Amino acid sequence: MLVTAATASAQTNGPPYESARTARVTGGGEFAGIFGPPDDIAFFNFTDYESNALRLVRLRLFGEWRPAPRLSFIGEVRLENGRNVDLAALYVRWLPLASRALEIRAGRVPPLVGAFPRRAYGRDNLVLGIPLAFQYVTSLRSDALPRTIDDLLRMRGRGWQPSYPIGSSELAPGVPMVSTADWDTGVEASWRHDGFDASVGLTQGAPAVPVVRDRSRGWQWSGRVGAALKSGFTIGASAAHGAWLDDDVAALVAAPGVDARDQTVAGVELEYGRGPFLARAEWLASRFSLPLAEFGGTELTLGTQAGYVEARYRVTPRADIAMRLDRLTFSPVTGSNGVATSWDAQVDRVEAIGSYRVNRHFDLRAGWQHNWRPAGRVHRRGYPVVAVLVWF
Amino acid sequence: MLLRTTGIALAAALLLAPSAPASARAGSIRGRVAVPDTPAMAPRPGVADLTARPQDHVDRRRCVVYLESGPTLAFAELKPGRTRMDQKGEQFVPRVLAITAGTIVDFPNNDRVFHNVFSLARARSFDLGRYAPGRNGSVRFDRPGIIPVFCDIHSHMSAYILVFSHRYFAVTDEDGRYRIDNVPPGSYTVVAWHESLPADTRRVAVPDGGETDLNFTLSKR
Repeated sequence: MLVTAATASAQTNGPPYESARTARVTGGGEFAGIFGPPDDIAFFNFTDYESNALRLVRLRLFGEWRPAPRLSFIGEVRLENGRNVDLAALYVRWLPLASRALEIRAGRVPPLVGAFPRRAYGRDNLVLGIPLAFQYVTSLRSDALPRTIDDLLRMRGRGWQPSYPIGSSELAPGVPMVSTADWDTGVEASWRHDGFDASVGLTQGAPAVPVVRDRSRGWQWSGRVGAALKSGFTIGASAAHGAWLDDDVAALVAAPGVDARDQTVAGVELEYGRGPFLARAEWLASRFSLPLAEFGGTELTLGTQAGYVEARYRVTPRADIAMRLDRLTFSPVTGSNGVATSWDAQVDRVEAIGSYRVNRHFDLRAGWQHNWRPAGRVHRRGYPVVAVLVWF
Repeated sequence: MLLRTTGIALAAALLLAPSAPASARAGSIRGRVAVPDTPAMAPRPGVADLTARPQDHVDRRRCVVYLESGPTLAFAELKPGRTRMDQKGEQFVPRVLAITAGTIVDFPNNDRVFHNVFSLARARSFDLGRYAPGRNGSVRFDRPGIIPVFCDIHSHMSAYILVFSHRYFAVTDEDGRYRIDNVPPGSYTVVAWHESLPADTRRVAVPDGGETDLNFTLSKR
């Protein structure tokens, strides 16, 4: 009798198991509290004049609405240090083929250049700092120009607040080699087959200056290819080309017929994992073009190269140790003294951390980062840092 | 708290064991577990992914029914073997696996991307590291308990392995039905477990050589 009653009860409860609904809303978030010492003199980790990558509290909230099996709308909001609210991502994802091999995205979309900017899992950054290529602000500004090579050389190592005689006179930071602070705006398409993938993008701005509304002419082309090999290696290559310099600033200097405002970036990346060991390396080269008044508005090309190698060893399922070696270099230019000098000061960085996973959603980290730069007010500086990472 | 309590209950199985006469014929417990019609486990959005994840498949085998107290000598009857938990379409398949202590579980990567299976459970913590499609990692589970399993690369992947010190358990099928065979006659406490719902516990008497129907309805309290 009891059994009969229980059976009836079960049957009146509707479907016994979860139904696979096509329309759905999902979400998640991450909290990062990174606590390094204040730094108002060396600015090695600043992404702009107020934001220090080693001293921030950041909340990321993201969500996806999938009204149909092959169509979804994705967005992310970031809140940094309680004051900067940014709509970091907002795009539509469409899978036009039933095989799902092709994906098209439109809106504010993930960048294609480099591997680091798309590390979606918050704890997937092996250390705490951002690689120099994606964080360190150079002495170039998209809204101001040096008149001479000497103007440029005077700003070596002062990327957190360079100033130039042409263009904006407001205080502002320089541009990084590739920005991770903002994503690109435009259209992308990705295709994959087994372990191989390829993507192309047509967006606004340039890798150093991704924008929602372009202040320079033209579009940014970008692309990448990647492959995950059964040997444990993942390899990738990417490139992008776009206008980084504001139109109105370039127009002040450029000679007739000279179009010097583009940035070209190319990079390769490698990852290898085996057991408790994970290693990554990434190298990028960039070329900035700008008109120089000293040369009658003709083109000056400035090169930049950056690369890092990082490794993590999982000592236990809860404990990791990790280290990154990072370098950013600049091509030489010759000033009025006749001596060839890099147009910005080379930066070297070493960072090592220990990480303890309290539970699946909660990481504690502590480490040290040391920087060297042969110019600017401070030539070397180390930072102790501790962090709390939570995701949900 | 639920996990800890259940883990202790599993470990205590032998201490609470009833016994049956040697001439008795084994019986069965069968039935169905009803759970609320809740949405499928929502994956975390892949905001920065360049290729979307095929996650339409929903593994509906989510419940485990087991005897909280196993018959005497149940532990001696253990025949630990080898089984598998696949990684397909950025999901673990099956999502719930029930095994006896001593069983080795293979975690083959039958996906198109790398995976990194790990668990921080007290009963068995492990980390298989990153491995490529077509490769396999294995773990032996010696202690009873509930082992949540995750992927270190894909935050939306999760699964559960329930390790028992006896063999009287069953994972429900896609309709929620289960059947536990070869149960010696006697009186038992039977538990229905679901990853996100409070467990339901019932007392049941298994007759000599007969079948006992026992249904559960799990719900959020």
